[in-house]
Amino acid sequence: MSLQAEKLFSLAGKTVVLTGASGYLGRTFSRALLENGARLVALGRSDRLMSEVQGWQQEFGKDRVAAHQIDMYDLDKLDALLDAITQCEPRIDVIINNAHELGPQTGFNTPAGSLENASFDQWNRHFLGGLYCPTRIVQKLGVKMKEAKIGSIINISTMYALVAPSPSLYEGTELLNPPGYSASKAALLSYTRYLAAFWGGHGIRANAILPGPFSNVEDSGSNSVAKDNPFLDRLKSRTCLKRIGHPTELAGCLLYLASDASTYMTGQALVVDGGWTIV
Amino acid sequence: MTEIIKDPQMPQLFDLTGRVAVITGGTGLLGRQHALALGHAGAKVVLLDLPGSKPNLVAQQLSQTEQFAAIGIAGDITCEEEVEAAALKVLQHFGRVDILINNAANNPKMEGTLGIAWSRLENFPLAVWQADLAVGLTGAFLCSRVFGREMARQRAGVILNIASDLALISPDQRLYRQAGVPEDQQPVKPVTYPVIKSALLGLTRYLATYWAEAGVRVNSISPGGVANAQPEDFVQKLRQLIPLARMARIDEYQGAVLFLCCDASSYMTGANLVIDGGRTCW
Repeated sequence: MSLQAEKLFSLAGKTVVLTGASGYLGRTFSRALLENGARLVALGRSDRLMSEVQGWQQEFGKDRVAAHQIDMYDLDKLDALLDAITQCEPRIDVIINNAHELGPQTGFNTPAGSLENASFDQWNRHFLGGLYCPTRIVQKLGVKMKEAKIGSIINISTMYALVAPSPSLYEGTELLNPPGYSASKAALLSYTRYLAAFWGGHGIRANAILPGPFSNVEDSGSNSVAKDNPFLDRLKSRTCLKRIGHPTELAGCLLYLASDASTYMTGQALVVDGGWTIV
Repeated sequence: MTEIIKDPQMPQLFDLTGRVAVITGGTGLLGRQHALALGHAGAKVVLLDLPGSKPNLVAQQLSQTEQFAAIGIAGDITCEEEVEAAALKVLQHFGRVDILINNAANNPKMEGTLGIAWSRLENFPLAVWQADLAVGLTGAFLCSRVFGREMARQRAGVILNIASDLALISPDQRLYRQAGVPEDQQPVKPVTYPVIKSALLGLTRYLATYWAEAGVRVNSISPGGVANAQPEDFVQKLRQLIPLARMARIDEYQGAVLFLCCDASSYMTGANLVIDGGRTCW
């Protein structure tokens, strides 16, 4: 095994399935995977997926990226897609469960999402999209990993699986981080450990990444924050490093877990939060 | 402050060219592996270890066979003056220090040993307690103070503390049991090891917050046991406690060490990476 960093963290020859591939973090994840040699099977719901994938195919080659536009809440369609991926991909080395709906329907940034008001439908969408779908993807695509006796599963959780959002962060703003987000992401951690324990003997590893504040300051969607929003200052001052993270600052962690650099790590949660949770 | 890297391309992300790394216990089993991880990524490496371990010679051999810059410094990290002197030597030789790995620890092998009733808590000598803490904890404090001060001065640097899975869980003394040995003679993993390793997690968080604004990041790893020709019955018992059902290979921590010492982890501080084959997740 080569210990040169370039080879140790290389994904050359590996196929990676990534959900939420065209989202704020997903776009950087996709680039990090592609720049380091992976074949990318990109899943996403928005139309943006197809335009992003077109660009990646131009840059890295058509055969390096497969795109599947899907609304995972349609569980029949999800199953059909997973069957199709199992059939047409000769190998699956890495699964990255990154997608999570961050909008009004899951109660983000609306009074309707508060602890007092959160609806059954919101809770359901958190646990269906954020927990059940990852488990279904692993059930279906994991068969290939078990056959190959090797695989790495990476679940994108959040620091809010460990600590609660502080209400004072949101005072006087339109912003709100709903309870179903914390709860479903914490459940994803338990699932990660369960998976690590039961499939470790098959050579399959399962770990989670817990990002801290990586506010989307680049887009203008329902989950983005304007660069001059005072909320950002509150976030920054809450961290030890006194700033929010940039998506590229998760790339190293992702490459570490996806590559053979982490072959003895399983069942763990890697916290990348600028020190938020240690004080 | 570390610059944010706009392009996640690996060679830059994991590159340590021009940086100087000090590794305590640098001639040891894992210390040498840390040196390989950082040296191959472009760092100049300083092996700081006791004179008896011949750090000069080991560094010379490393730089010859591995083609990176390495020097050895003989010194006792439990002695304030010697740590200060070592820092002077590093600065004289390389002009800077960017990375410190607090790796040194006494780690007596308990598996497969007999007649070591001294390791049992009831008998554990105060002198051994003090000697173990002096190396594993006081040494880490002194090195962090001296080398971290330089990093804070240059507004950039990384400290990595080598903890253990035994910082999170207690040793399972059943692993070390020998058939036919009376209860009060059974070998055990000494109390000092998990105590020191747990304390290193506290030191990690303290230093991470203390020097956050000075641009010094501080993290730890918690590795599991490394396969090193331990007795088969010990390995068999240990395997059952680990989801991956094996001990670690000697080179399996290099990825984590490099990751935490380079800019790929620029937003990570105060964290602990557990690399234990899953032992603590179930």
